[in-house]
Amino acid sequence: MSQPGYEGITVEHLTKQYHRVRAVDDLSFTVHPGRVTGFLGPNGAGKTTALRMILGLVTPTAGTATVGGARYVDLPDPLRHVGAVLEASSAHRGRSARNHLRVICRAAGLPDSRADEVLTMVGLNTVGTRKFKGYSLGMKQRLGIAAAMLGDPRVLILDEPTNGLDPEGIRWMRDLLRALAAEGRTVLVSSHLLAEMQQLADDVVIIAAGRLIRQGPVAEVLGNTAGAARVRVRTPQAEQLAAVLRDAQLQVSADPDGALRVFGADPARVGQLAFAAGVELHELIGENADLERAFLELTAGKAGAR
Amino acid sequence: MNLIRAELLKLRTTSMWWIFAVILLPLWGLAVGYNWLAAEVTLSTDGPLGGGDMGFGSLERVVAGLYTSGQFSGVLLVMLLSAILVTSEFFHLTATSTFLATPRRELVIAAKMVIGVLVALTFWLITTVLNLAVGPLVLSGLGASAHLDAPEVWQAIALNGLVHVLWSLVGVGAGVLIRSQIGAVITLAVVYIIGTQVLQVVFFALSTYVWEPFLALRILVPTLASDLLISGPQLAEDPPRWVGGLILVGYAAITSIVGTLITKQRDIS
Ligand SMILES: Nc1ncnc2c1ncn2[C@@H]1O[C@H](COP(=O)(O)OP(=O)(O)OP(=O)(O)O)[C@@H](O)[C@H]1O
Ligand SMILES: [Mg+2]
Repeated sequence: MSQPGYEGITVEHLTKQYHRVRAVDDLSFTVHPGRVTGFLGPNGAGKTTALRMILGLVTPTAGTATVGGARYVDLPDPLRHVGAVLEASSAHRGRSARNHLRVICRAAGLPDSRADEVLTMVGLNTVGTRKFKGYSLGMKQRLGIAAAMLGDPRVLILDEPTNGLDPEGIRWMRDLLRALAAEGRTVLVSSHLLAEMQQLADDVVIIAAGRLIRQGPVAEVLGNTAGAARVRVRTPQAEQLAAVLRDAQLQVSADPDGALRVFGADPARVGQLAFAAGVELHELIGENADLERAFLELTAGKAGAR
Repeated sequence: MNLIRAELLKLRTTSMWWIFAVILLPLWGLAVGYNWLAAEVTLSTDGPLGGGDMGFGSLERVVAGLYTSGQFSGVLLVMLLSAILVTSEFFHLTATSTFLATPRRELVIAAKMVIGVLVALTFWLITTVLNLAVGPLVLSGLGASAHLDAPEVWQAIALNGLVHVLWSLVGVGAGVLIRSQIGAVITLAVVYIIGTQVLQVVFFALSTYVWEPFLALRILVPTLASDLLISGPQLAEDPPRWVGGLILVGYAAITSIVGTLITKQRDIS
């Protein structure tokens, strides 16, 4: 997968064994350019560890991770290829945000003017000379994004970037990441906010207990799980309708209030089957696909902090 | 070169360097006062020609001491500041952004060594300029010549610069090896301030009760190696000056090489 210009991320058999915990366990997945890929998993699933291994900060026990075909540590100008926002990344408390960015510019051989450009981009230009210790959580998060954008990278890796952002900030982040992906960049972003991810991501990689659970386009992952689109239908002839639907290869379950829940069909199809069978309907509601429900089903029993 | 510029900006954009510089001044003042006293006592008991011994050594030594006033505290501060160049990266969690920009971690450590040397030379320059201003005043006040034509004085000043540099390298190496900010600062300060006396006693005891040649090994104690470099051999069986310098270089090399190898493997999280 290393044709020229290819700027995806390839993770192969990545494993990290800490003293007792296998934080990441034989994990393989790919992240494609031009798309936002959501990296999902319960607490302690190994997301942060995996991202830090991709970035050469944590040494894998086994396996490899490459960005655009090369290991991060082998990239000649890493910040011009890859920008990263990490949870525990920080700045010196006594240093101003602007100076923090200028230090990075110098190390990466970028002009100091980039520091001011990215501060403006994330809306911190008016507080850039303030010391880092006076920054709120949301401001720190924005500064992290500013630092990631310094080298105008083709690949972005973000670990829970919406942590601490207000609703407006979350929307800003979503628009930014979508815009960056639309420019053909590769965006890998971990998050717990599944509703947020459903609006943001094109693809998802779901892991639990260090292992890959599912990867693929959001719609595809949803199509195969409880998170898929479903229909709630109420009828006085519940048993008859359920039989008809099952004959049509649909999955049906009964809600406690007596309504039926039909999976893998839209309201039009359920209505049509009911009409053909002469079943009277009192309620017919389509429910949208839901990443959160899919996620909970996929990771059930595999979650839990380790 | 980019890295050195980055590290220099890091140093300049926090308050650490001038706090250390501000601490240096009163300590330097104390040292001048002490050396003034030593000069006065030595000159008044033995006359301007010197040669006697009042516990401060010969007049040449006293004069050289006056022109290198602030050495003890200057070296200590330079060493601690050099260690903090490294440990603050972990203390303030900036190691992540530093190593993202420069995944080849040994280059970062090398750049910090360059900065440590620059700090050492700057501090040395400050005290030396002050000493060259104050020294002649003190000596003329005591009715002695300024001794600025004496080669021993200039040798002492040059060696003073050298020990500043060598200890700053030891500081960076220790910071890489210890990593905990408080741990590194305390370890270095204790070894530097009290370690000398304690270890000297240990080596004397070892040579008296166990095996005589242990006494010669006492110059392996970094502070005693430093003394050897500055003052030359004190006992007949002591090795020459340059051995002391070599031992300090050895400490700097071992701590930074071992520390760098560990840092390259270490998980930054
Ligand atoms: N430095 C470390 N030493 C030992 N164990 C660690 C270390 N870092 C992480 N772990 C363990 O590895 C597992 C994965 O942690 P990781 O931080 O990668 O999870 P995560 O998916 O990012 O979780 P969260 O959603 O809470 O951020 C956890 O069980 C954690 O306890
Ligand atoms: Mg995490």
